[in-house]
Amino acid sequence: MSAQGLSVDIHARYFKHCLTMLPAQTAGLDATRMTLAHLCLAGLAALGRLDETVSKQEKKEMVEWIYAQQIPARRGNEAYRGFRGGSLFGPHEACENVAANSGNVAATYSALCALLMLGDDLARVDREAIVRALGCLQQESGSFIPHPGTTERDPRFIFCACAISYILDDWRGVDRLAASRYIGGCINFDGGMTQAPLHESHGGHLYCCVASLSLMGTLHKVVAVGDRSRMLRWAMLHQNGGYQGRTNKDPDVCYSFWIGASVEMLGGHALVNCDEVAAFIQSCEAPYGGVSKNPDTRPDPLHSALGIAGYGFCRPDELPRMAPELLLPESIVQSLRAARTTSAV
Amino acid sequence: MGESEKHSSDKDDYVPLKEQEEWRDVTPIPQEEEPNTVCPIAYTDEYSDMMSYLRAVMAKREVSQRALDLTGRVIEVNPGHYTVWMYRKQLVEELGTDSENELDWVAEISEIHHKNYQLWHYREALISRLLDQKTAEALTQDQLVRHPVIRRELLFATNAIDGDSKNFHAWSYRQWIVRTYGIWDQELVFVDTMINEDVRNNSAWNQRYFVLMGNGSGRPEKNPDSPLEDSLVDREIAYAVEKIKLAPNNESPWSYITGLLLRHAPARLYNTLLPKLQALAAEGSGYASSITTTPMYWSALVDIYEHQAKDLPDQASVLLDMAKDACDLLAFDHDPMRGKYWEFRKSQLCAGTTG
Repeated sequence: MSAQGLSVDIHARYFKHCLTMLPAQTAGLDATRMTLAHLCLAGLAALGRLDETVSKQEKKEMVEWIYAQQIPARRGNEAYRGFRGGSLFGPHEACENVAANSGNVAATYSALCALLMLGDDLARVDREAIVRALGCLQQESGSFIPHPGTTERDPRFIFCACAISYILDDWRGVDRLAASRYIGGCINFDGGMTQAPLHESHGGHLYCCVASLSLMGTLHKVVAVGDRSRMLRWAMLHQNGGYQGRTNKDPDVCYSFWIGASVEMLGGHALVNCDEVAAFIQSCEAPYGGVSKNPDTRPDPLHSALGIAGYGFCRPDELPRMAPELLLPESIVQSLRAARTTSAV
Repeated sequence: MGESEKHSSDKDDYVPLKEQEEWRDVTPIPQEEEPNTVCPIAYTDEYSDMMSYLRAVMAKREVSQRALDLTGRVIEVNPGHYTVWMYRKQLVEELGTDSENELDWVAEISEIHHKNYQLWHYREALISRLLDQKTAEALTQDQLVRHPVIRRELLFATNAIDGDSKNFHAWSYRQWIVRTYGIWDQELVFVDTMINEDVRNNSAWNQRYFVLMGNGSGRPEKNPDSPLEDSLVDREIAYAVEKIKLAPNNESPWSYITGLLLRHAPARLYNTLLPKLQALAAEGSGYASSITTTPMYWSALVDIYEHQAKDLPDQASVLLDMAKDACDLLAFDHDPMRGKYWEFRKSQLCAGTTG
């Protein structure tokens, strides 16, 4: 463990390396390259090294790649619009079958964040199309599916839909009351939050639920004072060195962000044992760069970015501040907030 | 990330699809040339080849056995490809593929990719087609549990849980089966078995709450705040205390019983649970000394006294003092790592601000 804090240099190199090339064994992540891009850029931003690691020219090229993943209009593909997770679906012109070339709310969220971090003004984003697609993806229950045709529906995608709407400052694609109501049903008996009513409380879903409500402006409506107490209690009980994602599971670095950020949004920063959390994250730093889930595994972009962002909450004087409600620098979120014209629900 | 990947063919034996007679009529669609790539993956030739042909058959929505086989090979390497699952589902339906074989195939994929979300939903879709709710409604719980489709699915989920007792997807899947087909009774038995196997398995404890809230005997599912029958509450308190004795420092039964009572029978926190906990603490044998050193005990007392103070305002000040003392013990002796939290908790008691 370093007394000087995180090994910023080697982590910056790690993210640059991932942005540049990933090995063949990561083919399983081919449909989530947009998310990987977001994570690497966020990781660099969290280290305060984005501008010096990625040149202006490289940023321009990345922006081009991202826009190349925006699904163009085609007859019958309204629900498939937005950004796709990678170029694996093929050239847009070659896809007569609209279902074969689909956007995905997680990819759209990541694309917008990545564009913002790369300094893009989102001028080429087809906002109307995205908002319409979101409208097609919300379920009767208030939850969201990530793309047409699947039965996967849970707070991860509610969060993505809320993040997209917040960034675009356009909530026409999200019935906020319905989504808030669904999330309210995910408050569990033990104070935690779940993927669906009565499922097990989970740190990742705590984040998705709390962040969604924050973005929608309905946090205090849905989470009564008593619930907020119990939620903070759940979060604090799940800090054992690092944060555990569920009761009686081992600490995992990514929850430094999922739970750490939730605690920030719930106003519980002063309650956290920051030394312990920071120490755990540092114990997960890989000697050659990147941060791993725990001290016994290898690093990956997800655990690296989230570990570093989570570390930042605990050591606010060491690293630039990341926003808790979106995986973006606080400075960018402040600009979004200042520019908002939509009213609260 | 970190998952082992089984390659569907040995590299030396691999014959590119473009050299196979069977695929002669198909023009593969290469991935776009991307000079400006972000997080590019160094694809193997085999992967590139497979994907080029997949893109071709998906583009024209080809319905054929060769397309089905190809989706299987792609999913094996890249189960996160989020549109290929839907395409495979259509192929299975239109080709009339045998469901047993398809379920076997999903089971194989789940062995390689334990944490993949899509396969569980794919399986859910297959089962919904095999056994629709209307047919199921005509059967008793006993008949349903013995129905080959359901028996197979319960076994599938159980196997996944055997491999990873806290597999989030498997437990969620069980909730889906139980709720869809109304087989609540067997789930309580399963939960009990799993808790006996590992009293620290929080997924099992959560499932217990799920069953209690569920649709027993044809009643509608309970609301989050609905009261529970006295006999049920008695049973659950006794059950939780029994398990607490086995491992006093295990968070699960503590969260379970205090959470359940807070929601559905708050007066029982101090009427029934408290005396039992105090009895344990007074007993002076092995677990008694460990019970008063576990933070869970004192944390439970804080919640219990706080609630009791609300219900009995004339005793409130004494009760709140006891709760605050418990917070001090936690902050300084039993749970100092969470010291700041316990001081905050104490301040909530002073201000009466927990709502």
